[in-house]
Amino acid sequence: MSDPERVQKYLQQSHDKIFESNRKWAEEQKAKNPEFFEKLSAGQSPEYLWIGCSDSRIPAEAITGLGPGEMFIHRNIANLVCNTDLNVMSVVNYAVRHLKVKHIVVCGHYGCGGVKAAMTPQDLGLLNPWLRNIRDVYRLHEDELDTIKEDGPRYDRLVELNVMEQARNVIKTAAIQQAYKRDGFPIVHAWVFGFNDGLLKDLKLDFESELAKIQKIYNLPS
Amino acid sequence: MASYQDPLDRIVAGNRVYAQHTTEQDPTAFVELSKGQAPEILWIGCADSRVPETTVCNCRPGDIFVHRNIANTVHADDLNAASVVEYAVAFLKVRKVVVCGHTKCGGAVASLGDADLGVTLNTWLHPVRELRRKHKTELERLLDDDARAVRVAELNVHQSLDVLKQHPAIKKAINERGLSLHGLIYDIGQGQLRLLEETSSKKSNGLWSPN
Ligand SMILES: [Zn+2]
Ligand SMILES: [Zn+2]
Repeated sequence: MSDPERVQKYLQQSHDKIFESNRKWAEEQKAKNPEFFEKLSAGQSPEYLWIGCSDSRIPAEAITGLGPGEMFIHRNIANLVCNTDLNVMSVVNYAVRHLKVKHIVVCGHYGCGGVKAAMTPQDLGLLNPWLRNIRDVYRLHEDELDTIKEDGPRYDRLVELNVMEQARNVIKTAAIQQAYKRDGFPIVHAWVFGFNDGLLKDLKLDFESELAKIQKIYNLPS
Repeated sequence: MASYQDPLDRIVAGNRVYAQHTTEQDPTAFVELSKGQAPEILWIGCADSRVPETTVCNCRPGDIFVHRNIANTVHADDLNAASVVEYAVAFLKVRKVVVCGHTKCGGAVASLGDADLGVTLNTWLHPVRELRRKHKTELERLLDDDARAVRVAELNVHQSLDVLKQHPAIKKAINERGLSLHGLIYDIGQGQLRLLEETSSKKSNGLWSPN
């Protein structure tokens, strides 16, 4: 068999595998609960919005034990929330104003390739503007980060500070400030996932006091 | 009847169970995961809670690199999605890029009309609404809005694939190492994925029609 043929066969197999797995999964759900898909078909009312990294190792629903219909999800490189990014802002808007989610979790992870790439002195072309946001987080917290001498722990801390900063960026939006004032939710959380133990760590962002601090400058009342 | 549980406690507890089960099944699972990722698939899907890719594909952590946004839309000028594609294709060297739309998509339904969803969502959905205008006659012939929303979701998947084909990393990977692009629709009422046929006259890479 020639090489392109082998590649083709391999790709066809991995492709078939996805459909095969999907069918198996759907049958299992129906066996457990015959109305499972009918109910989902009626609509979604998730309690959570998850903003996480695109990293393949952190499927949000799987690591939190949630099923279909429970968590609205946006994932991008290094879980960034940039105020000029219409993509993430549309997700936040829809989740808060239309789905009325109760909790927004911004979740980063240790060993994030995006964070590491951002701190590598190298021209990454198309990725430069996106990753620049992480360098900006570094600059905001330069004094603290510079005291950490070893690379590993310094990246870990930058991952945490990045999540905190992105959670703040969520709080800076009109959607959050107005919904919170009216309904008392959503609450924004900053979490980090660790591959060493598979556990989520709460960075304990104090939502109320962060909101108050942020509104001193970024106040967007209705 | 399940007793009330605080939603946050619930996912924290869910995570503890996940970590425990994973380690029980394979004590080295997290050691392996912390070494790095080598996903074969980039999935561009809707943020909709009913289409969690890893669950519906019965896959495992590490299998699928993921971008999810409102109505799985790829705009040519969107740096967020473009960065995900660049990272997945140029650096992780995924072998397939999948755009997955779905039935009952809120974004597709909203695009059947011009209701004011606020300036952010109006702008985001503008290209999808334009698709609806462009295919007005075809859509009007369909039975009901459910069918129209599915058709808009399909058209939107094709449009996103067309945008992706112009991404420099994708162009390069198609030529150099046989990367392939695929459109899917997930049927929420059935829980099943359906592969969309290539519709454009542009040369396909032929991977799924070897004959
Ligand atoms: Zn990451
Ligand atoms: Zn959708």
